[in-house]
Amino acid sequence: MLTRKMWRDIGENKMAFIACAVVVIIGLTAYTSMQMAKDNLFRAGDSFYRQYHFGDGFAKIKNPMPSSQVEKLSDIRGIDQVQGRLVEDVRVTGLDERRNIYLRLISLQDQKPYILNGVKVLKGAMPEENSKALLLGDKFFTAHRLALGEPLTVIIDGKKVQLKIAGTGQSPDFVYAIRNAQNILPDPQAFDVAYLPYEVMDGLFNRQGAVNDLSFALKPGFKFEDVEQPLKTELKKYGLESLVSRADQASNVMLTEELKGLEKSARSVPVLFLAIAAIILYIMLKRMVESQRGQIGTLKAYGYRNHEIIWHYLSYGLIVGLAGGILGGVSGAVLSNSMTKLYQQYFSLPGLTGKFPLQYFFSGILFALGFSLIASYQGAKAILKLKPVDAMRPPAPSFKSKTRLEKLPVVWAAFTVQGRMAVRNMIRNKERSFFTLIGIVFTYSMMAALWSMYSMVDTMVLDQFYKVQKSDVKISFTKPLPLPDVVEELQNTGGVRRIEPLVEVPVTLQKDYRKKDVTALGLLPDAELFTPVDKLGSQIKIPAGGILLSEQTARKLKTGLGDRIRLESIWARESPVYVQVAGIVPQYIGSNVYMDQKALLALLGQGDMATGALISMDPGQIPGLKERYGTSKYVDNLEERQQSIDLYKKLMDNNKTTLLLMVLMAVVAGFAIVYNSSIITLAERERELASLRVLGMRPKEVMEVVSVEQWFIGAFGVLAGVPFALAMNQGIAGGMSSDLYTLPGRTSPAALFLALLGTVLAIWVAQFWVFRKIARLDLVGVLKERE
Amino acid sequence: MDTVLKARNLTKYYQMGEVKVEALKGVDFDIYAAEFIVMLGPSGSGKSTMLNIIGGMDTPSSGEIYFKGKPLHGASEKVLTEYRRNAVGFVFQFYNLMPNLTAYENVMLSVEIAQNPLKAEDVLEQVGLGDRAGHFPAQLSGGEQQRVAIARAVAKNPELLLCDEPTGALDSATGIQVLKVLKDFNERYKKTVIVITHNASIAQMANRVFYLKDGRLEHIDNVANPVPPKEVSW
Repeated sequence: MLTRKMWRDIGENKMAFIACAVVVIIGLTAYTSMQMAKDNLFRAGDSFYRQYHFGDGFAKIKNPMPSSQVEKLSDIRGIDQVQGRLVEDVRVTGLDERRNIYLRLISLQDQKPYILNGVKVLKGAMPEENSKALLLGDKFFTAHRLALGEPLTVIIDGKKVQLKIAGTGQSPDFVYAIRNAQNILPDPQAFDVAYLPYEVMDGLFNRQGAVNDLSFALKPGFKFEDVEQPLKTELKKYGLESLVSRADQASNVMLTEELKGLEKSARSVPVLFLAIAAIILYIMLKRMVESQRGQIGTLKAYGYRNHEIIWHYLSYGLIVGLAGGILGGVSGAVLSNSMTKLYQQYFSLPGLTGKFPLQYFFSGILFALGFSLIASYQGAKAILKLKPVDAMRPPAPSFKSKTRLEKLPVVWAAFTVQGRMAVRNMIRNKERSFFTLIGIVFTYSMMAALWSMYSMVDTMVLDQFYKVQKSDVKISFTKPLPLPDVVEELQNTGGVRRIEPLVEVPVTLQKDYRKKDVTALGLLPDAELFTPVDKLGSQIKIPAGGILLSEQTARKLKTGLGDRIRLESIWARESPVYVQVAGIVPQYIGSNVYMDQKALLALLGQGDMATGALISMDPGQIPGLKERYGTSKYVDNLEERQQSIDLYKKLMDNNKTTLLLMVLMAVVAGFAIVYNSSIITLAERERELASLRVLGMRPKEVMEVVSVEQWFIGAFGVLAGVPFALAMNQGIAGGMSSDLYTLPGRTSPAALFLALLGTVLAIWVAQFWVFRKIARLDLVGVLKERE
Repeated sequence: MDTVLKARNLTKYYQMGEVKVEALKGVDFDIYAAEFIVMLGPSGSGKSTMLNIIGGMDTPSSGEIYFKGKPLHGASEKVLTEYRRNAVGFVFQFYNLMPNLTAYENVMLSVEIAQNPLKAEDVLEQVGLGDRAGHFPAQLSGGEQQRVAIARAVAKNPELLLCDEPTGALDSATGIQVLKVLKDFNERYKKTVIVITHNASIAQMANRVFYLKDGRLEHIDNVANPVPPKEVSW
């Protein structure tokens, strides 16, 4: 019978229970979806890495290394095997002339004991030996709607070369295919990898049996650090550009960062929501136990045992936990499927499919049940202490003394009688007021943080492209070119307004034992097209001497203003050299360091030269520029600002939906909390409120008793929520930042205002429901109860 | 006759803020099986306190009370719960029905925990509510609600049926109906019924009448010829 009572109780308080269950569902959806997606991603990556022998280390060299020399590197203690290959970026023409499309050509390797970074054929077949055919990245193939057997035209050393598409394939070292660190997102329309036979590639690039890219596997028991130094020594003469372990390999970094991020969120987000659900349940149960004192007394008088009564009240939590857990698990599974689909867009992992590991479904339910039962127990445990005789009596009124506010006659006089009732009620129910406050603080700060996050991504991208990287086109050369020639040549191109030569060199910075590989940008002292900005958005002057570090580089090296740091570069005549830190600047995308162009060249011992150029020009003339230089053998890359902006805008649109959804969740949580605490007030004071109605007050006037309290707490909650929002934002920004990008932890006033609107909405909606209840109060019934 | 309840020098004090209220000031009595007892007294005489202690809802401040030889004074909450569960049925002045359970379900509430319960349908039939079993308390009149409350207490088939002003909120015709149900139970099942009231006329139907005043049991009347409920004059 108590079960029936429970269902009917729940039926009478549908809104409150639904609101609470929704919060649980949200938390569980987050938990299940993220855990499942993480699991899918992890398993796909792990098995692909193992089956296709993802290398333990990777080296890039500038000068060709004869294949015969590669074998010798296996003599280094700890190295199991080394494989060399050719890796070259080429432009593709004939697909979409509006865009710059690149392919990274990678030579296929011989079967030794096993092939490192082996290529899994997804469509078609491996190109036959000596045939001018390639295996194309599957995403590129799909994005351009290509067909097997079709020719693809690429530009090699300024000449058009046709290659036949033999199939599509994927190797584990490019599961996240981005061209360089400046691109956060893979864009299969514009870049992907392709594999072709070594002999063919050797012929096309005229490498004469040499390689420029090495990967190796370690013997069991050895670490990357064990072979790092000997390899460096060996490869120095070949112009070692970079030597990284698997952990720092670009594509793998993206995968592991994503997994880490998922893991972090999967642990924190659900807990946050379950904690809110727990607060709601706690308040709800406390209120039920208070308002059902008489019923509890009767049950006790009839000899119901404490545990039977407690269990009855716990069953409310059980229902919420179970319903929330199951529904959340199901919707989480559904969401995990779309998350996995999203990951499929970014990661080229052949085994990445939307599976539903049941363990997360069940652990989620247990998780939800645990939270709900503990919260309900805390709310209901007062039953244990209640003696049946006392339970049958209404609780003794607790009006002991005046509140402090009442001692300020001026303030107090400003309240209507209903307002006074509200204030007294709020102050005398400190615990409940406190929980309502927490709820509002949560609702508010969550919304503020979410809106801010949106503007953070906005800032990150827009700052980069409107304040920092202002060139319309950036050209990178295949090799350094003499400075005056470059300027002269480009100046004569139609529509060009301004040219700034650029020196862009990969360097390794080191302070004590901490190291970081970054790109050093040599900028003109009067640069206008690339200008680092400080946190307030004003330009930072490039000092004549010394180096400007990005925040994340400085953090990684644990270095500060005035420190001397070690710099190594393949471009330096002498290496290492030392340079002083002249400043630290925020940077959102990539982690560059900046120097005065002349100073950088001097430091490297190089004459006047440029590795690229920044161009400001009439956008209408860009196709002309591309026409002219796109196929030049000196041009490696043509980057259009608008293309990059479009790509980020697309990403932001994706975020908008997620964001809106999360804001909605925060509103629901806020609603549930405010509604519940209003309902409690209503239940406790039903008689008083009914009496006021009998006195002739309108429902609206009676409503004030409840609403003034909520608005009061709401105002405090918003005020207290501001610092929370700021802290939450810093936390989110810190948590989401990685080597590739940094999120600014800024909270915008607009976000604070929008969050205020959201909070007001949550309170208002909750009060609307309470108002309906007041309007429907059964006056006679309420007043007749208990003479 | 078997002694069901035995009380010796029972006292009960309440600390109400700074005031100490003496609700019972030393009470002695014996109550026997199958008796119909009426406790009479004005408000504040200690009737309700006495009923609460007899029913295991409360414990005395001092003195002794035994149910079938087992002490209730000083008993743990757990022991008292089992006592109430197995031996006592309560009828309250304001019914205290679960508002969201039907009449039948309210009765089932006590049937489910009883060791030797009567059939809920039969009991409802006996109190004349066989056809109202599916109604919620809000759909029943005061007298009907009180009869549901009695049915709920009786259905447990308890040794002791304790009634606190069972007719207090009812008009005389309904009140007599309710008294009839109580007497019926007393006679049919040979169980002890204790009714507290300040309505002296109900005393006519008792075997014995306890007069309480100021926390003391002033005297006990033995009624030679109890009248049937329908003859009780209001």
